[in-house]
Amino acid sequence: MTTLAIYSNKGGVGKTSSAVNLAYLAAQSGKSTLICDLDPQSSTTYYFRVKPKLKPKARGFLRAGRPVFRSVKGTDYDGLDLLPADFTHRKLDTTFNGLSRRKHRLDIVLKPFRREYDLIFLDCPPTINILAENIFIAADYLLVPLIPTTLSIRTHRHLLAFLKEKKYTNKYVYGFLSMVDGRKKMHRQMAPAIQHEFKGMLRSSIPCLSLVEKMGIYREPVPAYAPNSPAAEAYRTLWGEIRDRLQI
Amino acid sequence: MENNLGIKVPDDRHEGLVNGILAQTNTFKVEEPVVEKWTFFDTFDWRLYKKSLTLRLSDQELHLLDLKGGDSIARIQFTTMPVYARDFPAGTLTNMISTIIGVRAVLMVAEVHTQSRVYRILNKDEKTVARLVSTEVRTAPDIDSPLIASYLSLRPVRGYPKYARQLEQALTEIGKTYSIIEDIYLSAIQKARIKVGGYSSRLDLHLDPHQRSDGAMKVIFQRLLKIMKDNEAGIKADVDTEFLHDYRIAIRRTRSALGQIKNVFPPEETSRFKRDFATLGQVSNHLRDLDVYLLSEDNYCAMLPEAMRDDILPLFDYLRTQRGQALDNVGRTLNSNAYAHFLDEWQFFLNEPVPETSAETNAQVPIIDLAGQRIYKQYRNVIKDGTYLLEHTQDGLLHLLRIECKKLRYLMELFISLFPQKDIRRLINHLKVLQDYLGEFNDLSVQQEHLMQLAKELPVNDERSKMALVATGYLVETMARRQRIVKADFARTFKDFTSPGSKTQYRELFSGKSKRYTQ
Repeated sequence: MTTLAIYSNKGGVGKTSSAVNLAYLAAQSGKSTLICDLDPQSSTTYYFRVKPKLKPKARGFLRAGRPVFRSVKGTDYDGLDLLPADFTHRKLDTTFNGLSRRKHRLDIVLKPFRREYDLIFLDCPPTINILAENIFIAADYLLVPLIPTTLSIRTHRHLLAFLKEKKYTNKYVYGFLSMVDGRKKMHRQMAPAIQHEFKGMLRSSIPCLSLVEKMGIYREPVPAYAPNSPAAEAYRTLWGEIRDRLQI
Repeated sequence: MENNLGIKVPDDRHEGLVNGILAQTNTFKVEEPVVEKWTFFDTFDWRLYKKSLTLRLSDQELHLLDLKGGDSIARIQFTTMPVYARDFPAGTLTNMISTIIGVRAVLMVAEVHTQSRVYRILNKDEKTVARLVSTEVRTAPDIDSPLIASYLSLRPVRGYPKYARQLEQALTEIGKTYSIIEDIYLSAIQKARIKVGGYSSRLDLHLDPHQRSDGAMKVIFQRLLKIMKDNEAGIKADVDTEFLHDYRIAIRRTRSALGQIKNVFPPEETSRFKRDFATLGQVSNHLRDLDVYLLSEDNYCAMLPEAMRDDILPLFDYLRTQRGQALDNVGRTLNSNAYAHFLDEWQFFLNEPVPETSAETNAQVPIIDLAGQRIYKQYRNVIKDGTYLLEHTQDGLLHLLRIECKKLRYLMELFISLFPQKDIRRLINHLKVLQDYLGEFNDLSVQQEHLMQLAKELPVNDERSKMALVATGYLVETMARRQRIVKADFARTFKDFTSPGSKTQYRELFSGKSKRYTQ
């Protein structure tokens, strides 16, 4: 069982679309997969046409075990289940803060799922406080989408420094270029610079394509509604590389 | 893709029934029909089926299915179907089946062709909340080929139990729902003209306790001969190591019974067959030894320090070549006229009806009396030898005790159906603990010598061989250490076996003094 967090402390970098498409491809390859929507904006949940709400007793994600377990919904795809987002997730930080073992709450919540699923994807909100630390502890690997801009590099440096400072060994951080626009000069210049500066960068990247944005209209993963598109191909290549690198 | 509960439907009513059910739902979407070949797999001795499981391969996707519940427990994808558990890609499915199938090969048992059409039931968000599946099962892929059966089934979506209940209700109104996977599986196997669960290495006999001993022994021998014959093809084709293992156990049980159940058949015939079975057993000794070494390759490597683990590989390569030759030898014997002739003779002897009156003293004794007597006597032999050993611990004596225990075990297993099941099984389990102990000790001592000898057969002038020899030396030393530890444990293990409670049980069950099982 492997837990992958699609994480970035920057918003709008393609976390959710990566999480949805990668989880879909993982399930298609025969891995029993769960995708957890930790973002109160509940975009992942929306993409899978599920109503964002946990079962009453699971409210607030606080109780580990069965109450949350019962909230899992099957998606339209074999082998892929979803733990929907809940509006109360917007307060996860404060709630975790008020509890014992506050940095391990997410890990505890995920425990019952680890038996059932080969892979767990965490779609994370942009954050770098207590929820982020919960994610770092619960996840085996962080997959960080990076748009090739100076701002991205800056935030990624922050993240790596934070991980170092808090003694989370940063060897399990994998970055990949996301929303790459070949027409922009900055993207063309920054892409190699990023590959050069950070260790553990994946070679595959996701181009900025309108087809990816259309996920909101189709409410399906890209490889499901446009299996032969370049966008689907890009996600497949990325997933293939992740699988090889992480040996999952 | 999984079909859970469903109903069998007559072909001509199929369409009407589907439309009827769909009319009760909000909206639905029909998917393109999927044509698939379903191939079912199991081991030769039906290990999966016995646990109500099967492996089904369709379109490069392998599912582990629960036959009773119809659920897909785990799935995995690959291009070529592996044969052994060790070749399966890591994952839930592999973990689950490894312990069940052990070292056995996974073999195809049957195949069918299916055409399924999925109707996705949608809620008002157009989210799939349940699936209705119509499945037609045929003997060949084309639509005109004979139809085995057609089904309507329900595939629930997790988190939407209400819709699943509605659909199930609709199906129940048409007919009784059950796991259609099991139905398809069983009919596929029926079409393949094989008997499900048809092979087992167990004796599975139900002897009549009052039957004459000579007749009962022939029944037992017939069963053992059947096990031998069932395994021959698998040995020759080298499917997995367990064919030879089961085959050899059947030979050993036959030999043991011929030797221990005395005076039921004419002595000259008994001793001739005994001798021939002994010779037959010896033919495969070397092959089985090599199998054992190669199966424990990982264990042996684990006994070495990390740096030495690669050094020993030439030894195992050498063992693999040796095994090829040993297998050829065994194959030659099994294909020989002499072997066929011997089995024919044995078969002929077993087929002959027992004479009305026999000169042999035990021939007409009820089998339960003879069996009980023999088991009790053998038990006392074990106790006697073991007690002597407590005072004079010698490696050779431990080996002898192991043989005596083996004899006792075979006797109890041959006649298991004659005695109260719970009691005799408990005693067998008790004996197993002692046997495991003695077995480990014996393996350690035999293997040390044998491995060292094999390592010396490696080409002398080769650098890798030298390293392998050193590594083998280290391995043998580790084994010797382990052997000393095991040896020190004998008194405790044996004491557990000879507890006053178990003595009483043996006496009561087998000495003919009380609690006799009668029909």
